[in-house]
Amino acid sequence: MLCYAVLAVPLAAAAFAGMVPWRRSVGWVTVLANGAVLGIGTVLAIETNHHRPVEALNGALRADALSAFMVVVIGTIALLAAIQAVRYLDVEIARGRSSARHASLYCVLVQLFVTCMLAAVLSASLGALWVAIEATTIATTFLVGHRRTDGALEASWKYVLICSVGIALAFLGTVFVYFAALHVPGHATGASVLDWTSLMAASHHLDPSVMRLAMALLVLGYGTKVGLAPMHSWLPDAHSQAPAPVSALMSGVLLTVAFYALLRFKVIADGALGPDYVRTLLVIVGLASLLVAASLLLTQRDYKRMLAYHSIEHMGLIALGAAAGTTLAIAAVLLHILGHGLAKAVLFLASGEILLVEGTSEIEKVPALLSRRPVLGGIFGFGLVALLGLPPFSLFVSELNMIRAELDVGLGWAAGISLALMAVIFAAVMGHGRHLLLGGAGASGKPAATPGIVAIPLVGGLIACAVFGLSAWPLQSLLYAAAHVVVK
Amino acid sequence: MRAGRELDLLQLTAGLVLACSVVTLWRRDLRALVAVLALQGGALGTLAALLAVQHGDLGLGIVAGVVFVAKGFVIPSLLARVVRRDPGSRETAPLVNVPASLVGAGALVIVSYLSAGRLTSLFPSPATRLAPLGLATVLVGFFLLVSRRKAVSQIVGLLLVDNGIALVAFLLTAGVPLLVELGASLDVLLIVVVLQVLATSMRSRFGHVDLDQLRELHD
Amino acid sequence: MSPAASAAILAGAALKMRMPASLLQVAAIVVGGPLLVGLMAKCRARAEGRIGAPISQPLRDLRKLVRKERIHAEHSSAVLAVAPFVLVASATVAVAISPLVTTAPVLDGGADAFVVVYLLLMGSVALALGGLDPGTAFGGMGSSRAMTVGALAEPALLVAILALSIQAKTSNLPGIVKATLAHPGWLASPERLLALAALVVVVIAETGRIPVDNPSTHLELTMIHEAMVLEYAGPELALVTLGEAMRLGLLFGLVANLFFPWGIASSASLPQLSLAVVVLAAKAATIAVVIALIEVSTAKLRLFRIPELLAGGFVLAVLAVMTGLVTR
Repeated sequence: MLCYAVLAVPLAAAAFAGMVPWRRSVGWVTVLANGAVLGIGTVLAIETNHHRPVEALNGALRADALSAFMVVVIGTIALLAAIQAVRYLDVEIARGRSSARHASLYCVLVQLFVTCMLAAVLSASLGALWVAIEATTIATTFLVGHRRTDGALEASWKYVLICSVGIALAFLGTVFVYFAALHVPGHATGASVLDWTSLMAASHHLDPSVMRLAMALLVLGYGTKVGLAPMHSWLPDAHSQAPAPVSALMSGVLLTVAFYALLRFKVIADGALGPDYVRTLLVIVGLASLLVAASLLLTQRDYKRMLAYHSIEHMGLIALGAAAGTTLAIAAVLLHILGHGLAKAVLFLASGEILLVEGTSEIEKVPALLSRRPVLGGIFGFGLVALLGLPPFSLFVSELNMIRAELDVGLGWAAGISLALMAVIFAAVMGHGRHLLLGGAGASGKPAATPGIVAIPLVGGLIACAVFGLSAWPLQSLLYAAAHVVVK
Repeated sequence: MRAGRELDLLQLTAGLVLACSVVTLWRRDLRALVAVLALQGGALGTLAALLAVQHGDLGLGIVAGVVFVAKGFVIPSLLARVVRRDPGSRETAPLVNVPASLVGAGALVIVSYLSAGRLTSLFPSPATRLAPLGLATVLVGFFLLVSRRKAVSQIVGLLLVDNGIALVAFLLTAGVPLLVELGASLDVLLIVVVLQVLATSMRSRFGHVDLDQLRELHD
Repeated sequence: MSPAASAAILAGAALKMRMPASLLQVAAIVVGGPLLVGLMAKCRARAEGRIGAPISQPLRDLRKLVRKERIHAEHSSAVLAVAPFVLVASATVAVAISPLVTTAPVLDGGADAFVVVYLLLMGSVALALGGLDPGTAFGGMGSSRAMTVGALAEPALLVAILALSIQAKTSNLPGIVKATLAHPGWLASPERLLALAALVVVVIAETGRIPVDNPSTHLELTMIHEAMVLEYAGPELALVTLGEAMRLGLLFGLVANLFFPWGIASSASLPQLSLAVVVLAAKAATIAVVIALIEVSTAKLRLFRIPELLAGGFVLAVLAVMTGLVTR
């Protein structure tokens, strides 16, 4: 029942936005729908935390604690993005850059996009998971190109092409897993061969050499969608060209939904191969991503691109955490997924607002924000602090625990390299942030106010991020329950 | 003898899929590229149909029909539309010249044969043995994707990757579950529609679909 | 009698039986090669709406050239004079050991695909050296171009034949033909078809036909083979032309027998041999007509596009080997 509801609500909102001509209230309906997703997700989380997984549709949909956690993350970010979208569409239409038809299309596509992500985390079959993640690419292409500028067009082309190739490789990996599963004597047949629980049960009997090939393809393929090096090149373009609410959704959750797929496959591969193989793969791509992010953040001149490279960094950190693979590590990875989602969404939404009022995304041209627009500047500043992993925000806790877990399993050297690269990134982002917030000639004239529709949800997001950092109380048992799902 | 005939046909269609992918590296004329792609899609559909008959699998038969129509007709005709707007457009200066591409393709074919050895030796069957042909198609598609500049060539490269994967899936496992396979086919179709729309709007905006000249976004 | 001696006698007897068949092959190609050239010219003429010279024109040309006086270019060395003989001699040996009329030519064990390919290569190299020898601009240019084509065409030829030998499990040409006769199903296999496509490309390149080379042009921008032999005259030109025609006949005959072996003689009996000659003539003529029609319908490639065509042929041959390996 809950599984159906969580998919039906955003789908219904999409249908509604498609049929009713655009006006402000349509936007608020989507806000409501995403709020409902968050609510249902919370119920689902409580349910799965204490009981068995919830199944629906003859077992095609299954929510365990991990799925429920992801539903909560998706719901949270989608809610923030939907509120900001109301403002974004209003301003775009008022300035004549967008029409009512485009606004409707935007709402429909965003809701479909959210539905696809929810379907991905609720699929019991790894094949259906693949189909849903591939469908997110289709739903988001026109969202990336929604601003209809030359750059947006170029970005959407790169995005579709690179992600489709990546995801095709993931399909090949899935086919290999299927092939290995078919040859396990006594394994299920028919459509349930790719069912995650039955694969888990059979994981020790899967042929190791086939699984090795499959896992390499899966890490490369889903890694493309996650934005891990070496297939990351679409990410800065797409995230900087998309409208801010879409960037927030893509950076905040789409990347981690793809990573969720990797977590599901990882535990199966660990059963067949032992932990070392996937660990090596993840450490390689994780460190490579950190290196890419560090080297390109230093010379960044565009604050949206800066945020995009920052996503690559965090995905690298998450990959390293997952490489460690202990319960502590996975719990920290999941907390990091939530914390990064919140902080990154807040920052992208704030940067969207900056772009809206300042008209440029170049760091050089937007100095001394803090004195000119104190609220907006403050949100952006605190968001950066959160994203850089400083206390009291939850990213501090999660990064600390991931590093602890890495030391536990003998990945101290990787943790050391990652800390060094993080220091470089810290310095680079601080430099850019200082100019953006404090630099330049200082304020002239009265500080400008920031509308409540922008400020209130963003401040709420930052507060949530801080709360999870200060006390693990509302989440701890869910995080561990979710981590236990994918740790053997 | 009947089984032998079926095996021959299987080998023939699988070989045709790979041969088509090499021809795409060979030709510069975009219309020819699309025609070759259609031929490849048809061969792939035929192969799936052969396997369906061999296994007596109705689901696979449906998939074969979908693949045949989608990859043999619908997708090529979508691409043909893009090409028609741009008559006489050719891949004039690929990043890797044609002879080098072809020799490279030869190397990729050998690589795929060597790397797939384990797959085929694990569960040797006449169909499984052909799997390296699919892998080679995937690699050639990749090569086309990274070495060509025209939008249509890149789409063709993507579709080659996809066809190669479908070939591997059919040969190794006689098709993944029906729903996944249909979902995958639908996704590919939609991706091509999306890319077609993008290519069309690029053409109307920039007056060309030469991706090398898109240089707005970089670091 | 020692076993070795008896083996030698047996081998001698086999040689005696095989000799006439091989001689017949050489005779058929010496006459047939120029006739094939004439046939192709005739086909082209007809397709272009002309009547054209009779099919036997190349033979008459040869007769005329032989009667002329020998003239050598100034500053030329012995290479110029020897090259045509090397060309004809290598072609003759290649013809003698190949399975054209009979599956049992002389030197059965030596009729390896590699031997035949290298005999052909020997002729090409001799001709290229002959083109370089007088030191003229055209000769050097022609030799250089011919070697460019050959560098890609020869490996493709080898690899294509390799694909066939993987299937037949022997690189012996008569062995491949015999194995094909025993397994007619092989002809529809993908490696055969790919190898056939590759061989067609190679044959077009090696025999200097459109779209690689135009045998009837003397335009400096495009000519390859004609530039190379520009300094030859009289009987030596006759030898060069004959050698080239023999290579063409050999390649056509080989392709015909590798992909459609029926009609080839398996014993040395006279009726079988004479039937085989007729069948070979028919098969080679069919190929000649097909290639002539390709020539009429395509334009000559620009010189720098030729490597593309040949590399394509090479890759097709590699694919043939690969499919041969996976379907083994």
